[in-house]
Amino acid sequence: MAATQTAPVEDSIAKIGNEVAVGEDMQFQRRWWRFEKAVWVVFLLIVLLDLAGAFGRGPLAKAHANTRGGTMVVDYERIERFSTPSILTIHFGPSAVVDGRIQLWVSDSVVKELGNQRVIPEPVSSVIGNGGILYTFAATSLPDSVEFALQPSHPGIAHFELRVPGATLDAPLRDEFEAKVVVMP
Amino acid sequence: MAAVLRAIFGYLFLVFIVRVAGRRPGKQMTPFEFVLIFFMGGLTLTFMVGDEASLTNALCQIATVGVLHYALVLARRKSPRFALATDGTPLVLLANGQWYTETLTHMRILREDVMTAARDKGLATLDQVKYAILERNGEISIIQASDE
Repeated sequence: MAATQTAPVEDSIAKIGNEVAVGEDMQFQRRWWRFEKAVWVVFLLIVLLDLAGAFGRGPLAKAHANTRGGTMVVDYERIERFSTPSILTIHFGPSAVVDGRIQLWVSDSVVKELGNQRVIPEPVSSVIGNGGILYTFAATSLPDSVEFALQPSHPGIAHFELRVPGATLDAPLRDEFEAKVVVMP
Repeated sequence: MAAVLRAIFGYLFLVFIVRVAGRRPGKQMTPFEFVLIFFMGGLTLTFMVGDEASLTNALCQIATVGVLHYALVLARRKSPRFALATDGTPLVLLANGQWYTETLTHMRILREDVMTAARDKGLATLDQVKYAILERNGEISIIQASDE
């Protein structure tokens, strides 16, 4: 039978008052306290930035934009969070309505990257093509708006485009909107 | 794969926060520390689990945390520097009738906390305490002054 392994006990732990082995390392501890202080500053910054909306769901994250032709006013969140619901709202101007209908083309990134869950109101039709979806809505009176309930499926930077192909504009003929959205993990 | 990565991040982040937030578990744990530990644990769980409520996810994440914990304990045993970073060092709070105020302040420990530990040891007054040491596990060890 193999003998149990042993090692001699050494009095290697630093003592205090030459009597109690404590092994206190104040040099390390003072460095750690400085590090801790820096961490608390970083945490405080994170809290303040989050309250401001720098990581989404706050004032800094909300964006409001008009298209050049005045067909659309878009409210969206420029900073989204992964798997967290948000609303993209598109308000239409009078030029968007043609024959009691509004046509809206959205790039497929609204569905794939920004995770569109549903469109409110329900479109009369939706046609897939040209890297996006063309929705047609019945519109009787203005102001009219459409909402997309989003829930981003991947963190990263998403780029989306909106167009109103049938808008009665002189120039440009198509009123477009494009934006970048940062999706926080 | 994402679930395992989330578990790794969640575990390491929680270990880091608990290490930075202070060393007062065990007997020195007040209701405030209980709130801290349970609240942080709950919050970490929400993002670790996400919408994956499957048994597979739970098993993978538990295995990940288990492996990670084992690796941490092994690294702690192999490297004294790593052990120092994860566990810290024992700190003297009181010795021979002198408070170590720098340590008390930085460790956010009250003199009453030391007295609590002294009472736990059956001592009635602070002058019966020769040494008070904040251990790496957060407990305060008391060494009694000998009767002379």
